[in-house]
Amino acid sequence: MSLPYLKEAIENDDKEKLIRYVRLHFGDGNEEAGKKEIDKSWIEALKLLLDSSETDREFIFETLENKDAETLAHLYFSLHFYFVKRSGEWIHDGNL
Amino acid sequence: MTEIYKQKQLRTEVWNTVNERYPGSMISKDDYVPLSFLKKPLSESKLTFISTSGVQPVGTLPFDTVHPIGDYTYRKVPSSLKPDELEIHQLKYPTVGANQDINVIFPIERLQELAQEGVIGGLTENFFSFIGYNMDPEQLEQKLAEDIADAAVRDHADIALLSPA
Repeated sequence: MSLPYLKEAIENDDKEKLIRYVRLHFGDGNEEAGKKEIDKSWIEALKLLLDSSETDREFIFETLENKDAETLAHLYFSLHFYFVKRSGEWIHDGNL
Repeated sequence: MTEIYKQKQLRTEVWNTVNERYPGSMISKDDYVPLSFLKKPLSESKLTFISTSGVQPVGTLPFDTVHPIGDYTYRKVPSSLKPDELEIHQLKYPTVGANQDINVIFPIERLQELAQEGVIGGLTENFFSFIGYNMDPEQLEQKLAEDIADAAVRDHADIALLSPA
């Protein structure tokens, strides 16, 4: 989807178009696959926390506190692909 | 002569498919860039290569393949490099073949051979690479394309081989 198309969807509060975009983006153009990819990344993150192993909460707190929302949004996209890759089920055609 | 610039979009069915996968991404333009003609023989012309393959020298900052709007930077790829000095960062095309032989997507060795054989006059110091996933047509045209065109001119390119991945 082009940027003008997305901006128009946001302006019109067209959530269906935006949700469709997010799924198409994560699914390499396949909406159903994208939906599964989103679930897959969350499941992978969840699995890592089941044993309550120690995590760097200070880093998380400082990052959320000090970084701008745009950087955090970029990080959010990066984390999605990180966890999908870590899951071992890589549906994408190329490399990160 | 100007009529050839007014040709209709070719292979519209391909673009329909792209628009189905990424709605609104097909940008139509009514104006055309005039074709440029060779000013000297091919055997005397310095060639540059411009590619959307996401190929880059090992160790350079990887292209941003996760940003939803795209990455509007390019990498200089020295034309003297060998395949094992290159890597691919790109999500949107199958890279299995290219990872075995990078020349299938970024024919650097073939171009080096053509220069050595004298078929072309030589290669610019650098080739240019970026990723083809760009959702902002204005940045693509007015920043990235202009930046690469300026860099190609600075490298004294006589001709440019453009290759979408």
